[in-house]
Amino acid sequence: MANDDAHLLIGRALGQLYRRENKTETYVSVPPALVITDSDGATWTMGFKKLVHGREFEFSVLRNDVDTGEMAKRIEYTKGVVRIFGQYGWRSFSRSRRHFI
Amino acid sequence: MREFILSSTGVSGMTVLGASTLNFINPPAGSSIDISFIRHWVGQVANVNSVMQPIQLVTQVTAFPTLISATPRRVQLADPNASTITGATNGAAGTCGINASSEGAGAKTLWWPDSFNVVNGYLKVNTPEERDVIPSAYTSGVGLWFSVAPATLTGWTWGETFAEIA
Repeated sequence: MANDDAHLLIGRALGQLYRRENKTETYVSVPPALVITDSDGATWTMGFKKLVHGREFEFSVLRNDVDTGEMAKRIEYTKGVVRIFGQYGWRSFSRSRRHFI
Repeated sequence: MREFILSSTGVSGMTVLGASTLNFINPPAGSSIDISFIRHWVGQVANVNSVMQPIQLVTQVTAFPTLISATPRRVQLADPNASTITGATNGAAGTCGINASSEGAGAKTLWWPDSFNVVNGYLKVNTPEERDVIPSAYTSGVGLWFSVAPATLTGWTWGETFAEIA
């Protein structure tokens, strides 16, 4: 939007634009939080695609409403790094911003 | 499994009245279908200050809230079945709606209390063994509601995903 301050972090989740003054605090986890805002301003949340693994749901991982192709039980923001936890254990979003490793 | 979403509308969230029902779902009378919630979420899209906001799941008997009619959407677009619950403004059995303008005189009974930081939002995912289930033909509706008016009334987004189990 033209009237947004340049310093705002603006991302998209579940069809809505989320504006934040700051990135999310460390160790915030989705769930029980709904969104994580990283230092790029990207908004992370859980999508609607799901499966059951180990008696828990895993949902698709969305970054700015784009499906990353990953499924996870948790998305966590730890010391500036977005991490996901699912049936393949913990993985971190790469510095290249392209995949989880 | 037939799954549906009942959520807020609009591209910039919705304005709530205060301490008000966000979603209200009332199971059909004489039905054999259980409503099993998969998850509930609430978010605040505006740039807001960090503050905790109470949120509750409650059951409510008649008289029900006055709502904006909203139709549950299919999670799976290829699902040929519509929800057995239809949109209505009066919260009657077999109907649902969003963003109440009046809470109705019916007593609310607390089902699940919680709170969240508005900056981070709220996502309650029910593990398969702990799902919130409204049994078929239950005589109360279930509301997701702000038990306390939020500091900022604008820019709210919310929803619930539920399965209909025959």
